[in-house]
Amino acid sequence: MLTATHLSKSYTSGKALDDVSIQMLPGQISGLLGRNGAGKTTLFRILCGLIKPDSGELSIASHRNKPVGGIIERPGLYPYLNAYDNIKLFAGIQGAPADRESINQSLIKVGLPTDRKDPVRNFSLGMKQRLGIAIALLNNPEYLVLDEPFSGLDPIGVTALINLIADLAVKGNIAILLSSHLMGELTKCCNYLYVMDKGRLVNQGTTAQLINHHIHNFNITAANIGSSVVLKNYQPVMGINGASIVCNADEISALLKQLLAEGIQVTSCTPELSLEQLVNAPLQS
Amino acid sequence: MKQLLYAELLKIVKQSKTYYALAAIAVIELLIFITAYYQGSTILDLLLNTLRQNFYFEGSLLNGNLIMYIVLNSLWFNVPLILMIVTSGLLTDEHKDGTLQTVMLQAVKKWKFILAKYIMAALFTLLVIAFMALTTFALAYAIFGTGDLVVYIGTLNFFEAKEAFNRICWAFASGSIAMVFYSTVSITLAIFIKEASKTWIASALFLIITNLLLKADFLPAALNSFFFPKLIDTWQQLFNYKVDWPQVGINNCMLLLYSVAFAGLGMFIFQKKDIG
Repeated sequence: MLTATHLSKSYTSGKALDDVSIQMLPGQISGLLGRNGAGKTTLFRILCGLIKPDSGELSIASHRNKPVGGIIERPGLYPYLNAYDNIKLFAGIQGAPADRESINQSLIKVGLPTDRKDPVRNFSLGMKQRLGIAIALLNNPEYLVLDEPFSGLDPIGVTALINLIADLAVKGNIAILLSSHLMGELTKCCNYLYVMDKGRLVNQGTTAQLINHHIHNFNITAANIGSSVVLKNYQPVMGINGASIVCNADEISALLKQLLAEGIQVTSCTPELSLEQLVNAPLQS
Repeated sequence: MKQLLYAELLKIVKQSKTYYALAAIAVIELLIFITAYYQGSTILDLLLNTLRQNFYFEGSLLNGNLIMYIVLNSLWFNVPLILMIVTSGLLTDEHKDGTLQTVMLQAVKKWKFILAKYIMAALFTLLVIAFMALTTFALAYAIFGTGDLVVYIGTLNFFEAKEAFNRICWAFASGSIAMVFYSTVSITLAIFIKEASKTWIASALFLIITNLLLKADFLPAALNSFFFPKLIDTWQQLFNYKVDWPQVGINNCMLLLYSVAFAGLGMFIFQKKDIG
């Protein structure tokens, strides 16, 4: 287990981190939500040992050479080397296996082709993220931290990366911490969520707890939703292909049943959870 | 450590910047050759017309040794500037590409990583000076042939062809130590400054200040003997009529000690500094 307790860090520009405590458990994917400048990257840098906190403690239960692997802000790769040489270089400098088979295994693990020989400056951002993860996983760390891994990716890239991250947690029993300012991506793959604002941890809980407690808006997509009678009880805001409604999480399944009974052809129901809700109404209160 | 050095070597070999540096030095040499070929004899005749009436010079004075000596004079500013830009890039590029952070996220000791940078910067510098010496030697002798060397250091000094060649070789060796010193300083500057263009400006400023201080006289006599700006022209002392070999040796050892001190300072700061 990785445990950070009461971490604080200040720069000349102000306090970046204020009394933050978090945990990472094997096989669990945790998410760190917060606006830009909330202190997520500072926390990640401390977890990875790149910077020292002014106060607080970091305890990592691991006997491995590299307990924590990660990508912070963007995957730092040598642009003039190809993917194979990048992995070979990073593996070599830390004494990890750098033979052809091991390198190809690393590439396959993250879904990258083994036959691409051009420099990584030609790669898409999604491919760079995957290569960054392959490098982060060299030397088998028990903890993986990924700072804004979805930023700049298209929806297909996001889905593929979520699948890869879930695979790593389940099959590799790796403790993973992701950060993002985008709610949707984190709620899709995280077991536990932390919410940060202005350097402080303002909310936390299992993803299910947070959704149940905070979600009061749903977006329902259906071609003939305008003809629904039952929907009128939920202050609907009608859109082109659906409606946005105000409804508690524990009521939504009953509502959906009623809509289907009315003959409404529901094609999707998406919870709308805003960061502001999580920041302003902590679960503890 | 071996793997870190191999990684640094791979980066140098794969970066186009390295070849631009070698090409820049080749261009400097070429310009000197072309100028000497078309204008050298006229200038020399003008300068040495009176002397020719009293002395006998073996062969043409516009010869390979003189050309090598002229190329050697690019160790004052041109070559160290190119070297400082390239070697500081060993670190500033890592900041720019975010690879420094990626390296530090691996099981790599900070001090070993930065030590590998210093060692590779020194080896690269020696390689560049060797390249410069060999290409100059081959081309200068092939085009201009051999002959006596005349140089002006406060006074005119004349050396027979064989003696001139020996002194030029020693001067390249001594000059390479000065260049290693500059390369070491550039890495240390890169540790402090991080950003490439600012590090280049600081490197150029350091080079200019060092050259200016070389001409200044300091009140404490020890400063005039042991302060590093006073040591960077040691290679030039090889063209004094009588070479003070012990002094040349001491100066070069001092310069090496300064290089180690600058590298030590850089490693200390790098170890203490946060990454990112």
